[in-house]
Amino acid sequence: MILSLVFFTFSFVFYILTTALYLGYWVFKKKWLGQTATAMAFIALASTSMILISRTGESGHAPFSNLWESMMLFIWATNVAYLFMEYKYKFKVIGMVVMAIESLGMLSASLLPYKFKSVEPLNPALQSKWHWMTDLLSTWGLEKYAIGWLDFHVFTTFIGYAGFAIAFGLSILYLIKERSEEKGSGGALVSAFPPSRVLDEMSYRAIAWGFPFLGVGIVSGAVWANYAWGTYWSWDPKETWSLITWFIYAAYLHARVTRGWRGKRAAYISIAGFLAVIFLYWGVSFVLPGLHAYA
Amino acid sequence: MPDKAKDAKTGREEGWLRTIGSKIWYFFNSLKLTLFVLISLAVLSIFGTVVEQNAPVEQYLTQYGEKWTSWIMYTRLNDMYHAWWFLAFLAALALNIIVCTFERFPPKWKSLLVHIPEKFDPAIIDRFSHRETVSLNAGSDAVRDRLLKVLKKKKYGVSESGTKGDYYFYAWKGRVGRLGSDFTHISLLLILAGAIVGSYAGYKDFFAVNVGGTVSVPQAEFKLRLDKFWIEYYDSGQVKQYKSTLTVLEDGKDVLEKQIWVNEPLDYKGIKFYQSSYGQSWNRIQEAQIAVKHKGKEALGETITVKWGETAKVPGTRYSVKLAGYTGDFAYDEATNQVFSKSAEAVNPAIRVEVFDGDKEIATPWLFVKYPGIFPAIPNADEDLVFTGYVPVMYSGISVNKDPGTNIVWLGTSVMGFGFILAFFVYHRRLWVHVRETGKSTEVKIGGTINKNTLVLEKELKDITESLTSD
Repeated sequence: MILSLVFFTFSFVFYILTTALYLGYWVFKKKWLGQTATAMAFIALASTSMILISRTGESGHAPFSNLWESMMLFIWATNVAYLFMEYKYKFKVIGMVVMAIESLGMLSASLLPYKFKSVEPLNPALQSKWHWMTDLLSTWGLEKYAIGWLDFHVFTTFIGYAGFAIAFGLSILYLIKERSEEKGSGGALVSAFPPSRVLDEMSYRAIAWGFPFLGVGIVSGAVWANYAWGTYWSWDPKETWSLITWFIYAAYLHARVTRGWRGKRAAYISIAGFLAVIFLYWGVSFVLPGLHAYA
Repeated sequence: MPDKAKDAKTGREEGWLRTIGSKIWYFFNSLKLTLFVLISLAVLSIFGTVVEQNAPVEQYLTQYGEKWTSWIMYTRLNDMYHAWWFLAFLAALALNIIVCTFERFPPKWKSLLVHIPEKFDPAIIDRFSHRETVSLNAGSDAVRDRLLKVLKKKKYGVSESGTKGDYYFYAWKGRVGRLGSDFTHISLLLILAGAIVGSYAGYKDFFAVNVGGTVSVPQAEFKLRLDKFWIEYYDSGQVKQYKSTLTVLEDGKDVLEKQIWVNEPLDYKGIKFYQSSYGQSWNRIQEAQIAVKHKGKEALGETITVKWGETAKVPGTRYSVKLAGYTGDFAYDEATNQVFSKSAEAVNPAIRVEVFDGDKEIATPWLFVKYPGIFPAIPNADEDLVFTGYVPVMYSGISVNKDPGTNIVWLGTSVMGFGFILAFFVYHRRLWVHVRETGKSTEVKIGGTINKNTLVLEKELKDITESLTSD
């Protein structure tokens, strides 16, 4: 039995429970439900961390080399980002949307064919440890813990994805809230949402986090590609789609900062952006062939 | 700028050239254009990921049919990222950035340098949408000291005016954050410039070098020799890494030796050499095994090993045989009477041998590993030669790349990282504070602006007023 898959099963259950708890908190507005939900989110985070740690032990490298592993990273990063946001802004209602995205992520990862989940050694192109780090760590005999372009590139990209996922959830909440505010009569459920102005601003903040990280992810990919293949940009579908996504969010930021496109229009661009992220992440891997065959 | 456009319209003497110039300037100084170009680039780029790029025409024909293929060729959709219309959009984006930077940067720079208001008007505080008012049971001087301490702790710059009982403070923080967008924009121009330099001054090439072989490097005064090539495997049998030992030759002398592998190129005088593939050579082997077959017997006789280019005696006969040629995927061109390799793979390996009777060459047949004995190797003899196996020569696939633009691109990406930090994580905050003593208590009115993330400002104002009251 592969330990990481055991932790996966646990985490899957935890995320569903967390989603249910946040939903319960939203519907019944009991304080203890909210607290339990947050505690459960932490447990799910711990369990997801264990997936990543055990997978590292099993494969002997950072768990960023196939679609399933990157999915675990996405779920982990989104959870961390969400808990950080909850701590900062104290709005628990958002949790139900984010945790629903997490549960869907777990579901889709569980449906992946086995070849996208299996423990594989790194192929030649993915062996990209930084020399300076290997040299530094070898002083203490720890060189096998050195990281490299693969780790940096995937990690930054997925922080970006996590930011966009949260922005997507917030934009949906915004649209619901904004509609009810316009009508003037929100039900008790919708009125539990934070004010639309706050949702709008938070979603902007999430994108303002995701955008530079995706940018750094793209750039580090280019540096690495130049190192491995001798060309920093080859208009490979993955590269192109990452640029498309980046352009969409760049349009979002420009429209928002300088033309005052807030609210609804901003929310629609944010949703379009996340659809592009999904295609960039899953669509390209399955539909369009290219250099980036692994996740 | 609208003013410029107006100037141009009214100033008849300046002439039509100026009018057109300012209209173009006005066109490129627009954020609508930015949004239009960004969305267009995003949408257009999708086509290039759906239609395969730079494929042979036959592939488009089978995939899309004749009508669509001619359309694809006409619109350059088969190489769209280099098509004039795609480059035009990129150029528009670049011009847009340049014009916007010229228009916006100087006034912004000025306002950041001379940013302290000349005269403090307390009424301004009421006009901010983010403001707080607190009343404290302390004298105005005590409140002033406390406020200055809080602002200093939060690393604000402070300018103070007013007198006892009526103090005015203007505080600021993170001015440099305003420059983040400019750095980011300039970084994009640098990256584009690097790409242009690379596409004009650089080149890409590919060598398949046999072990022991030497190649001349284009646009360079040195040669490259492949000394060794080997593959490392995991225990499971998967390829772990493949490596080449390369030697740089200058004027016939060895000047540098380096091992390269995937993710570890050789960089010599601005030209980079990358391990990109490997395979069996299609025109050379190390040695071949050849067996003797006697007429009438089923079993093969003795096997000999013949090294490349060498001659060996065929035991039990008066013949000797020389290994003279090899082709990995045998094909014969009847028009030119020539043998060639159909592909780089060892699909149908064949050797050419020269058979000698004593000193006299009597035949030069091709022998096939997959089709033993289809043609007799030696005419009118009781013996035949059968090609039974061989040891291949490996070739190492090495990509060559000279791109002097890369360094500009890297400079651009560093500037971009710096710009991101400023643009997204440094907020420019400006606070106006009015401290006024009213009888026994002192009223503190505080309001301000932030260039982004108003939630941060709200929190900041609350923090400040809280630490004023809690002390």
